[in-house]
Amino acid sequence: MNTVRAELCKLLTLPSLRLTALLTVAANLLLTYAYATAEAHGEPLGDDAALAPLGYSQAGFLVLGVLAAASEHQEGGQLRTTLLAMPRRLPLQGAKALALAALTLPVAAATAATSTVPADGVGWVPAATGYLTLTTLLGAAVAGVVRHAVPAVVLLLGLYFIAGPLLRAKLSSSAAYLPDTAALDPSGGAAATITWTLAALMLAALTFHVRDV
Amino acid sequence: MVSLVRAELRKLLGLPTAWVGLVLGTLIAPMVVVLNAPYTRRAIAAGTLTDISDLGLRDLGIGLIGPMVLGVVVVSSEYTSTGPDSPGARQLTATLAAVPNRMRLLAAKTTALVLVVAAQAAVTATATLTLTQVLHGDHVPVPAPTRIAAAILYWTLTALLAYAITLITRNGVVPLTLLIINSSVVSVSYLLTKVTDLASYLPDIVGARMFIRGVDFPVEIAPVTAGLVMTAWVVALLAVGAVLFQRRDA
Repeated sequence: MNTVRAELCKLLTLPSLRLTALLTVAANLLLTYAYATAEAHGEPLGDDAALAPLGYSQAGFLVLGVLAAASEHQEGGQLRTTLLAMPRRLPLQGAKALALAALTLPVAAATAATSTVPADGVGWVPAATGYLTLTTLLGAAVAGVVRHAVPAVVLLLGLYFIAGPLLRAKLSSSAAYLPDTAALDPSGGAAATITWTLAALMLAALTFHVRDV
Repeated sequence: MVSLVRAELRKLLGLPTAWVGLVLGTLIAPMVVVLNAPYTRRAIAAGTLTDISDLGLRDLGIGLIGPMVLGVVVVSSEYTSTGPDSPGARQLTATLAAVPNRMRLLAAKTTALVLVVAAQAAVTATATLTLTQVLHGDHVPVPAPTRIAAAILYWTLTALLAYAITLITRNGVVPLTLLIINSSVVSVSYLLTKVTDLASYLPDIVGARMFIRGVDFPVEIAPVTAGLVMTAWVVALLAVGAVLFQRRDA
């Protein structure tokens, strides 16, 4: 429990995480407004307006996860100090995931609520909150393997915003297997999101366990 | 100056992330043409494509992640810590020790970036359009050379836009997130054009008007005007970035 508290304390004091969370909530508000205005102009933009803004703001959650995990590896390797205090790596990795989930949950809930409630989609709030939290954990797991923020961001955003939509447009059967389908269609992609996130977390834990610092 | 540009080229091409951008950016557009071929053939036969002359050129947009990554890492690599053993040591200090004149350094960096991205864009455009001709040559005319040149210019300006934003933020994550989300299938800028007509003058939307014809936008902008507007965006952001780079501590 002490480890979780320590990890939470580290995350809460990172300015980059605070900034990312603020920017994400602000961008989400702007997007929700854009969708509502387009709808009012009589130009609905295709997707479900309650969830569509989340398709973009999930990028903020990916970045949040990446920055949280990559911060240990930047600027002098904070990870060495962390491991001196807590040498058992697998429990440490678990504590990190718990702390990040606890930190993300309120931000995810606020983001989900701002975009779904005005569009009469209150029922989506729990699903969207869960999705955004899992997405953050996935981002953190990938960054834990890659260890550098910029390449991890390129990889994740390239997959979520370029490869994912392309694949779904070409092969509609692939939608059920992509981690980001659930952003627009929670019932169709929830299993894939959970599986991908757990797999990424396990891979991150395994590489963290065997690799040198 | 030549040796400065050569040094910047070597630094840029020595970055693993830059190669991710080079390979991804060059391969995605031709791959999309090949994957889309059956669908496109059916659409041509059914006559549902609005403007056939856009084919191939329009697919180029998906490869823009390449110039974006290149434009960002050429700056952000200078500011990241060089390794866990030397906290606080960044490449920029070494670069500035070698070239203390910051404007000359920026000029060399910009030249190196433009050279790499223009070469990448030329290769990608040639590959994409040749594939389009091979696959759909009977129905699709070869685009005019000016339109191909405009597409290459669009790639180069996009890289410079990413570069200018990174000069201002000095961190790669913010510009990459902004730009990659915005290059997704339905871009945020495109959403904004539904809200206000002014959004048609955002750099990525207006820049595409240089070489793409058949898209219905609320505001009609001539190709040359579009090029000038996008160049104005890039010049303005680069000017801000250059002033900040000149005045801020390294």
